[in-house]
Amino acid sequence: MKNRLRVLRAERDWSQADLAAKLGVSRQTVNAIETGRYDPSLPLAFTVARLFGLAIEQVFEPDD
Amino acid sequence: MHSTPEPIHGVSHTVRDAQNTRRFQLRMLAAALAYIVATAALRWRGSISWASPGLQWLLVGVAVLLALAALRAYLQMLRQADELQRRIHLEALGLGFAAGAVFALLYPLFELLGAPALGGRAIAVVMLLSWAAGSWLAARRFSGGA
Repeated sequence: MKNRLRVLRAERDWSQADLAAKLGVSRQTVNAIETGRYDPSLPLAFTVARLFGLAIEQVFEPDD
Repeated sequence: MHSTPEPIHGVSHTVRDAQNTRRFQLRMLAAALAYIVATAALRWRGSISWASPGLQWLLVGVAVLLALAALRAYLQMLRQADELQRRIHLEALGLGFAAGAVFALLYPLFELLGAPALGGRAIAVVMLLSWAAGSWLAARRFSGGA
């Protein structure tokens, strides 16, 4: 699954640690999502989308 | 809200994960020490005059209680873990269980070929080592090391 997490985070000038703290996850989790090594759970994906004020499909999209 | 403290063994954790991990490690250490003391006392009970039957039962009871406390801390750590950490734990447990099962089923064949009989404790050792290796491998994979 592709995502725009890194871009959205950079637009707000947040570090991975800042975003991790806002989401209540580890920095490793944010890094793994950004690099595509880990697909977040649905609740976390919704939390991410809500944090950026976007719809979930504006943050995450399928690979195909 | 959680923050990200210093990494433990190179893996970043939430504050809650770090606290739960430390609690589990401390309880595991206490349980391991109690196990060693109880094992030593029972093994050499003939030569230890102060190791009365009551004391032997007490040592075993303490070892069991501390092991249960460690188990409880491990379950709490799993249930409250950050979702990526939970995934890493799942992969580690899966590898540990699978390696232990494969070893338990296949090693008796080697015993029939003349390999030394290792006993049931060897399975636990294989499981623990595979679990540790699985933790390291999964953490490495999700952090980009593999």
